[in-house]
Amino acid sequence: MNTGIASYTIMLSLREATKLARLIVGSAAISPSITHRNLLTMNKSWLFGQVMCAAYFSSHQYEYDLVVLGGGSGGLAAAKQATELGAKVAVFDYVTPSPQGTKWGLGGTCVNVGCIPKKLMHQAALLGEAIHEAAAFGWQIPEPKKIKIDWEAMTQGVQNHIKSVNWVTRVELRTKHVQYINALGYFKDPHTIAGLMKNGQEQVVTAKNVLIAVGGRPNYPDIPGALEYGITSDDLFSLSKAPGKTLVVGAGYIGLECAGFLNGLGYDATVMVRSIVLRGFDQDMVKIVVDEMVNQGVKFIHEAKPKSITKQEDGSLLVHYVDKDGQIQKDVYETVLFAIGRYALTKDLKLENAGVETVKDGKIDANNEQSNVPHIYAVGDVLHKRPELTPVAIHAGKLLAKRLFNNATETMDYTNVATTVFTPLEYGCVGLSEEQAVQHHGEDNIEVYHTYYKPTEFFIPQKDNSNCYLKVVCERAGDQKVLGMHFVGPHAGEVIQGFAAAMKCNMTFKQLKSTVGIHPTVAEEFTRVQISKRSGVDPRPQSCCS
Amino acid sequence: MLRTGVRSVLRTLQSRTLASASTQEQAARSSSFKVQDSNDFNERVKNSKVPVIVDFFATWCNPCRLLTPRIEQVVAEKQGKIVLAKVDIDENTDLALDYDVNSVPVLVAMKDGKVLEKIVGLQDVDKLKKFVDKYADA
Repeated sequence: MNTGIASYTIMLSLREATKLARLIVGSAAISPSITHRNLLTMNKSWLFGQVMCAAYFSSHQYEYDLVVLGGGSGGLAAAKQATELGAKVAVFDYVTPSPQGTKWGLGGTCVNVGCIPKKLMHQAALLGEAIHEAAAFGWQIPEPKKIKIDWEAMTQGVQNHIKSVNWVTRVELRTKHVQYINALGYFKDPHTIAGLMKNGQEQVVTAKNVLIAVGGRPNYPDIPGALEYGITSDDLFSLSKAPGKTLVVGAGYIGLECAGFLNGLGYDATVMVRSIVLRGFDQDMVKIVVDEMVNQGVKFIHEAKPKSITKQEDGSLLVHYVDKDGQIQKDVYETVLFAIGRYALTKDLKLENAGVETVKDGKIDANNEQSNVPHIYAVGDVLHKRPELTPVAIHAGKLLAKRLFNNATETMDYTNVATTVFTPLEYGCVGLSEEQAVQHHGEDNIEVYHTYYKPTEFFIPQKDNSNCYLKVVCERAGDQKVLGMHFVGPHAGEVIQGFAAAMKCNMTFKQLKSTVGIHPTVAEEFTRVQISKRSGVDPRPQSCCS
Repeated sequence: MLRTGVRSVLRTLQSRTLASASTQEQAARSSSFKVQDSNDFNERVKNSKVPVIVDFFATWCNPCRLLTPRIEQVVAEKQGKIVLAKVDIDENTDLALDYDVNSVPVLVAMKDGKVLEKIVGLQDVDKLKKFVDKYADA
């Protein structure tokens, strides 16, 4: 198990202990995962007992205590937590190339084609904006108007970072004794997983428990030309040449973020919206996010659906679409990006062989991450009606491993999870939207406090602050428990995270008001908000020169 | 002043007597090679008659890109007394993991299949010379 060249004394004692146990039980299925720390603190007889114990249980009839399908955030978190608790774990991970042929490494959507490259490109766009602001602060920048992004250089930097994270992930699996199997795993029966390896051989393993954490992939619409010429977020972050004038189809957070940073990087970006922008988010806030995007140059085509994409002789893409009046319209783009939702990658798993049921979009409706088959679990984006967020998957995966291998009882709390949409002006939120609060509590029982605010940094470069807005949704009675917090502005993610902790502690509006702010910040505006929506008072701040 | 002057004269003399630029490049080429797979590693590194410096690198790592030409040059100057084996960690993942390469670049000095020393991170030429001298002249 330690094929490396490390020769720490601790490692030696671990080897000895394992050898000893192997001799006694005559089995290869010994949990190889007693941690160094454990070894240091254990006395020898206790250690011996532990090894024996682990060996006995895991060699009972299955090769692994846990087999994880999918090497993304949720699956890897569960796998690492499980080995730390003494379980023997294998992870099957394989990336099927996108229709455009894009492939990537270990670590799942977030690291490779999600949060990480998205945040880096958002940052690239913000830096472009900052260059122009810098001139107003006195930085001498020759011909700021001529500054432009080198798409290839940016993409290279982003991809290099991703590859370094892939490596660190791989090293971590080795260090934590998680068996990594680079194959697309599927069920042969409820306890047997097989996967085709690169060398053409089929690897078959048996598992006491199985965790489905295969995540999701972007949908394509069923229209002519979509698969041939359209790209998705799977392809955008490693696109070999600049996207140019881009049509983003879909107005979920992925569509808005992509359109936002493309526009910020200097590419013409249009969002085609079928019905509702950022469905499920607070619609006041969404309106502000969209207003700001329009301010910055992003175009929106509302209530429209693409009909076909054809490639023209010069390589550009002719898009026909149906507008809100049912009329066929057309326009020409260099890139068409689909961001119309994601489906769970469960159909390759041959779930029928294990009896696992799926619901809409191939998702698994689980209760405390447990599927309808008791020893088969699911975390992350494959879960039905759960937020598709990396930290949610990680948290749920860790808790599940602790329940499975450490007799823990804590279950995942999917409520009050904070999130941020990284549009040019970011939108961070935690808890209920105003619509949800009205639905759950009734309009008469909630109070909404709101305000526009003016970030100090915006004045000198004369940045438009008309869309810097926040709201706090509270219960109306008593100390007014806070139900939701919403913030549009710079660094929204950084602003909202701490308030999420406060809400976890059941913060009331009274407590929020008694909190002293940090001046001058944008986050302090939450401690100053006092105008209720119900009062009808203008929430725009008075200040000089405005 | 005098010392640096003398040193630079010495250096010019040395480089003249050693080799012309083109043969130096040739030496760099023949004294270093890229490891293809673990069999190749066994043959050319573990069973090498002369000591080997193994350069574990990644294409995505900027310090690696600076280090590799430096170590190539330093090894080339040893004229075959020591060789350089370059291992792309993404192409030879298991190999790199077996040698506990957690971050790159890593240089490993090996003789008779055994690891003698390992240095992690970008190094300047003086340090590389000392490192290589230690094993080339041993």
